[in-house]
Amino acid sequence: MYTCGIDVGSVSTEVVILDSKYNKIASYVIAPTGSDSKNAAREAFDSSLKQAGLTDNDVKAIVATGYGRINIPFADKNITEISCHARGAISLFPDLKTVIDIGGQDSKVIKLEGGNPIDFLMNDKCAAGTGRFLEVMARAMEINLEEFAPIFIKTTDKVDITSTCTVFAESEIVSLIGQGVDKNKIIKGLIYSIADRITSMIERLGLEEPVCMTGGVAKNMGMVKALEEKLGVKINIPDEPQITGALGAAYLAQNIH
Amino acid sequence: MGIKNRLKTGIQKNLNQKYIKRLLGIIATKPVLYAYGSTFPTISDKYLNIFTIESLKKAYSDNSHPVGYGSLFLPYEMFHALGITPFLPEVMAGFTAGLGLAPQTLKEASSNWYSQDLCTFHRSASGASELDVFPRPDFIITTNLACDAAQKSFYIHSVKYDIEKNFYLIDVPYRYSKESIRYLTAQIKNICMDICSKTGKKFDISMFKEVIDLSNEFRKWAIEVSILRKTLANYPPYYNGLNFILPFHGLAGTREAVILYKQIYKELKKYSSKEKKENSNKNKQVKRILWLHLKPYYRNEIFDILDRENCRVVFEEINHVYWPELDYEKPFESLAKKMLSHFLVGSIDNRINVILKAARDYRADGAILFSHWGCRQSNGGARIIKDSLKKLNIPTLVLDGDCVDQNNSSQGQVKTRLQGFIEILNSEPK
Repeated sequence: MYTCGIDVGSVSTEVVILDSKYNKIASYVIAPTGSDSKNAAREAFDSSLKQAGLTDNDVKAIVATGYGRINIPFADKNITEISCHARGAISLFPDLKTVIDIGGQDSKVIKLEGGNPIDFLMNDKCAAGTGRFLEVMARAMEINLEEFAPIFIKTTDKVDITSTCTVFAESEIVSLIGQGVDKNKIIKGLIYSIADRITSMIERLGLEEPVCMTGGVAKNMGMVKALEEKLGVKINIPDEPQITGALGAAYLAQNIH
Repeated sequence: MGIKNRLKTGIQKNLNQKYIKRLLGIIATKPVLYAYGSTFPTISDKYLNIFTIESLKKAYSDNSHPVGYGSLFLPYEMFHALGITPFLPEVMAGFTAGLGLAPQTLKEASSNWYSQDLCTFHRSASGASELDVFPRPDFIITTNLACDAAQKSFYIHSVKYDIEKNFYLIDVPYRYSKESIRYLTAQIKNICMDICSKTGKKFDISMFKEVIDLSNEFRKWAIEVSILRKTLANYPPYYNGLNFILPFHGLAGTREAVILYKQIYKELKKYSSKEKKENSNKNKQVKRILWLHLKPYYRNEIFDILDRENCRVVFEEINHVYWPELDYEKPFESLAKKMLSHFLVGSIDNRINVILKAARDYRADGAILFSHWGCRQSNGGARIIKDSLKKLNIPTLVLDGDCVDQNNSSQGQVKTRLQGFIEILNSEPK
């Protein structure tokens, strides 16, 4: 028996097909969402089915999550990213108390007790503290986002980025570059600025270990290290952090009768 | 297009006082008013709308009683006793949101240097005033009770209408004490005397008799409603306790408030008997929500989502009857005590005690604090309220948003937070 989770985010859509008999991932797909989220979800689902050698009929239930969750007509149910990320993270790290998820459009912190989410905070008022913020800054500096982590690790000094608004922060960076400030120091400062915002959210809920980080930004080891440093704890990272929400959705689909 | 939509579209296109007066002139004639009233799902809703329109017609009428602007937490019994027609700009700001006028009024406020940081109830009301949409006031009375924006923005109204001499600020002391009662009593008495001398009305204490009796009668029914709601899990369709701010405050001391609350009680009682006959297991599944602060007054999905997910708002903090019975032989002192009894006066502990008692009395499964942009008196206590409810094992969602400006938050984000919270309420221990 198989279940499926589809996480339609602002930047990417993730699909996980779960072999519920063995609680093992049968296949997963990460694809760009683009402008047509409904279509992106269908294509990613089809591609995931193909990868697992399955057909629609083999999948018992589908749960959609993410900002585009309400727009997936073939899903049986939609559940928020809060419950799905929590469930996905718990399946990987069973004693987890805190989940940090930084996605393309929002960042959130979820507090868990006995495997269940008991509280959460979301920052989605603006792009500050999200993957999109990093993307915009990388573009402004004409540096690949993948280079941010090694630069962060090797650079010892930083320049503080004071603007929280993405547009103003971009101007601030352009101005710093114009002043001849070392780009590496700017990158270090940028990553710390996001880490500061996330740390403040975590502290509002109360930090409890073990901690796990999910979402696309968790692939950026610079970001993970900055957070570990600020929080003074070790952060667990799933092998593929970007699919945690979809994985949780696939687990929650097991409850659909 | 139904009558409500026709009204909405008409007023959006013609946002000026002349049009509003003409509209009220048509709608407040008995046959039209009752036809309009019959479009509402319950009799209490019908009364609420009819009484509101009648009160507005009076305020906008050129040859009627003096008009007094008042802020929310005033004892409106003094207005009614003095024959002043109350006009509540903050409540009107809620109407601007409901009628889709807030984008126009907020833009006008912004063009007139009202800061974006100012609460939108006051910003929208100020914008409407700048647009000359409100009736001209003869008196303006406000207070520093809870809200810091009212005392400033209401004064600006008095400057606009050149009636600074008729502007009164009731200074409510921080603590409830004999001295505070004396201080407040003297202020209320002086204001009443001053208004009487300006309107040429001879002050007579007996003018308070009927008003105080009616206020006590309204209070009695409001308490009955609160008691009855403790046992209710479901409500008549479209019932929303957050819609009764105008009668709860502005109509206190009138026959209309008594009629309305008596009717609400009757409707809820009928529903309660119906509920008892139905399967009680169904009611056990309902998640009981305690609502803190206000709600958005523009079209939004919050209550539809709660309804769909089997969550019911079982009580609203703002409907707590906080004041003792009034004594008509000591009207000024009674009104002073009413103001001082408000749970937003003094320490945050007063508010927390009311919230915790309501959470226990109404067996709340969760609480939602709608954190209205710019409302510091409410938002400032969010953390301590959340922590206090947590001690009772009641989770709290602090839902950031705006009651008036729909562009100040994204509906999708509000929805995700709300659904996430409901999922937490429904989650079973693993």
